[in-house]
Amino acid sequence: MAERTTFRLRVRFGKLGRLRHLSHLEVMRALERSIRRADMPYAVTQGFSPHMKAAFGPALPVGTAGTHEYYDLWLRELVPAPEALARLVAATPEGLAPGAARYVPEKAPSLSAALTIARYDVGVSPAVGLDELVRAVEDVLAEAELTVQAKGKTKVFDLASVLPEEPRVESSEAGSTVAITTRMGATGSLRPEALIGRALESAGLPQAITTVTRTDLLMETEGGFRRPLE
Amino acid sequence: MWARFEPLLDSVERPARYLDSEWGVRVRPDSSYRVALVYPDTYELGMANQALAILYDILNRVEGVAAERCFVPWKDMALAMRREGVPLHTLETLVPLRECAFVGITLPHELTYTNVLETLDLAGIPVRSADRGEGDPLVIAGGPCAFNPEPVAAFLDAVLVGEGEEAVLELVEADRAVLVRGGSRAERLRALAGVPGVYVPSLYEPVRVEGAGTEVPGCGSVAPLEPSVPAIVAKRALRDLGSARPPTCPVVPYMDVVHDRAVVEVLRGCTRGCRFCQAGMVYRPVRERSADDVVRDVMATLRCTGHDEVSLVSLSTTDHSQIEEVLRRLARGLEGRAVSVSLPSLRADAFGVEMARLVSGGGKKAGLTFAPEAGTQRLRDVVNKNITEDDLLATIEHAFGAGWRRVKLYFMLGLPTETDEDIRGIGRLVNKVMEVARDNTPKDQRGGLRIGVSVSTFVPKPHTPFQWEPQLTLDEVLRRQEILRESMPRRGVDLSWHDPEVSFLEGALARGGRAVADVIEHAWRNGCVFDAWTEEFSLARWMAAFEAAGIDPVALASSARDPQAALPWDHIASGVSKRYLLEERGRALEGVTTKDCSFDGCTGCDACDDLGLDISLGGASRG
Repeated sequence: MAERTTFRLRVRFGKLGRLRHLSHLEVMRALERSIRRADMPYAVTQGFSPHMKAAFGPALPVGTAGTHEYYDLWLRELVPAPEALARLVAATPEGLAPGAARYVPEKAPSLSAALTIARYDVGVSPAVGLDELVRAVEDVLAEAELTVQAKGKTKVFDLASVLPEEPRVESSEAGSTVAITTRMGATGSLRPEALIGRALESAGLPQAITTVTRTDLLMETEGGFRRPLE
Repeated sequence: MWARFEPLLDSVERPARYLDSEWGVRVRPDSSYRVALVYPDTYELGMANQALAILYDILNRVEGVAAERCFVPWKDMALAMRREGVPLHTLETLVPLRECAFVGITLPHELTYTNVLETLDLAGIPVRSADRGEGDPLVIAGGPCAFNPEPVAAFLDAVLVGEGEEAVLELVEADRAVLVRGGSRAERLRALAGVPGVYVPSLYEPVRVEGAGTEVPGCGSVAPLEPSVPAIVAKRALRDLGSARPPTCPVVPYMDVVHDRAVVEVLRGCTRGCRFCQAGMVYRPVRERSADDVVRDVMATLRCTGHDEVSLVSLSTTDHSQIEEVLRRLARGLEGRAVSVSLPSLRADAFGVEMARLVSGGGKKAGLTFAPEAGTQRLRDVVNKNITEDDLLATIEHAFGAGWRRVKLYFMLGLPTETDEDIRGIGRLVNKVMEVARDNTPKDQRGGLRIGVSVSTFVPKPHTPFQWEPQLTLDEVLRRQEILRESMPRRGVDLSWHDPEVSFLEGALARGGRAVADVIEHAWRNGCVFDAWTEEFSLARWMAAFEAAGIDPVALASSARDPQAALPWDHIASGVSKRYLLEERGRALEGVTTKDCSFDGCTGCDACDDLGLDISLGGASRG
């Protein structure tokens, strides 16, 4: 069968509030359902078990919120982007609501390949003072490597390479926030709570992480980072 | 409440069970009358229950009423809630269950009984009806187990027998009327007892019979304490399914629940007359929805939920008189959308396979499932399973010729009059099925050919012609399983068993009387919960509970009952008369079959007359 022309709509959405407790699979299924409810003219994959043609950006773990997450959706017909966005918003639960939508070239790299930089805010409760936290983060960064045990596997991260920017500690309404930028690799990505957890542990401070929010997903370009919808 | 509850989510499995805020939830914080609808198991099982989805929809349309969902928290969450002093609450507005006016619990099968107690206890509601006070909600149960409510009667304030669409509204209306005038709990209970189909256990007492009467002490019949209360509670049933608008915008779970798809009911009841089948007896008569209504609701439900699969459910979907038209119209309407239609069960005939082919649309062919139930024609005649060996083999030929490579067959062990020869007959039948399947499969594909054989133990159920029959003892089940194993072909057959210990408990609870409540409470207090979960089930704990309550479970499950003696469910009328059940029992023991009254004339079960209903096919009633 000849390939039909399709239109590749890129949608930004959030994973907020109590819906941060959803798994990546649950988020994908919920968004696919919202696309069907919005009656979008989605393309269907060819083959033995046809399904909606859509692709999602890097997974968020259970418990981690996100403000700038993305999916690509292939449509059989062109629906003006503002109309598509309005229809998707009306059909999506508030905690996963889309915030922007724009067509991207059919040949653009996939979200999972293009998005290599993630920014996070890690919330820390007032049980740890701002100065203590600043020192703890400085100390952990002084190490060249961070070894993380997860699911029976040991991963060693070269901090200089996975942290393209220096983490910043700031005071916030509910304690303090550490802003972290990480570079995601093919062999695994550093979880920001692993870094801060180690910092607190090494400094003998309580495990006071309250929330983790991914605040941005970015593409690396020459001389900087760029959002996938800019 | 959310601020107290949310921190618990970080330490439990599958937090999506507890989040609420799915698409389609109804949040009505200003309602004055709050109903908690409970499924006595986890979220992922409860969200598949269509009865609760229907009642949720109906009650949330009533001015001033809010219906909210509640499921049993898994053990990790229950532990955390008890530790932190967080009471069990509804999902939608996080109202503690004990602050609701009415806690409605569906009873899907006997193995959820301890979960009912767990639910009440987590909510801080006394588990026994007699211990509840003015401030406590009314605990009202319904569902399949309402047809013998006696084992759980002590825990329930009221039981709704039969279909709930109309009755639940009458129930709520009756209760609100009492509450508005400041009536007491006793007055509320009396008002409920006045609603047709409602049984209020505290207004009945066990009948004391001199001498013989029941095989097990405390497991006889009950009678009303006062003349104003009905001696017989007749089940409720809808006259016209077309007038009931089923929910087309149900809640859409985030979590991967069982049967994670849209559901549209196509008919209610089944009159094939299998003599072991409780559902086939208690949900009579057959009432079909019209093809137009079914197609309309499928399209509306898919639009509103965004599901990519819809299941056409009933006890026997391919028996719908217009099923072919329905499937053809849906295939056209859903073309190019990667949305599939599924049928829960198939008739073992060419028509059944044709319908499966319509549904598969030339694409993926999931396995087909058929239920011959018994291995010999003699025993199939006894149980009135009207399929012949030739029917089954012709169906297999047709299915494998059409490209299917997997089939699953259901059988039961221990059906009344079963001999060792009948058991060997299962092995012989499976062997023939395998031969026919192989002959109709191209040589290069025969490697992938599988026949699943699933064997359960027969459990005699109330309101069936076999309600007086003994269930096999555990030792006898093991002996017969060995015969079956020896007679079963090895290659290409996947043999699986339903755990006989679980079936034994199910049998002991299913036909128990009031005294069995002590057993259930004892079992729960000693840690029995989630008994339907294989890894949680412990027969030893249950045996200790029977022992402590002084009740012999073997006598309950495995003694033949005297057809003249009183039964614990004699006060519950399903519409099918005891006289008919006895006649059917007689015909069973003679090996005489009974035809399907939806097509071959009335067989005299009395359901239509007793309930004032008619069979209705394709939306048209047939008097």
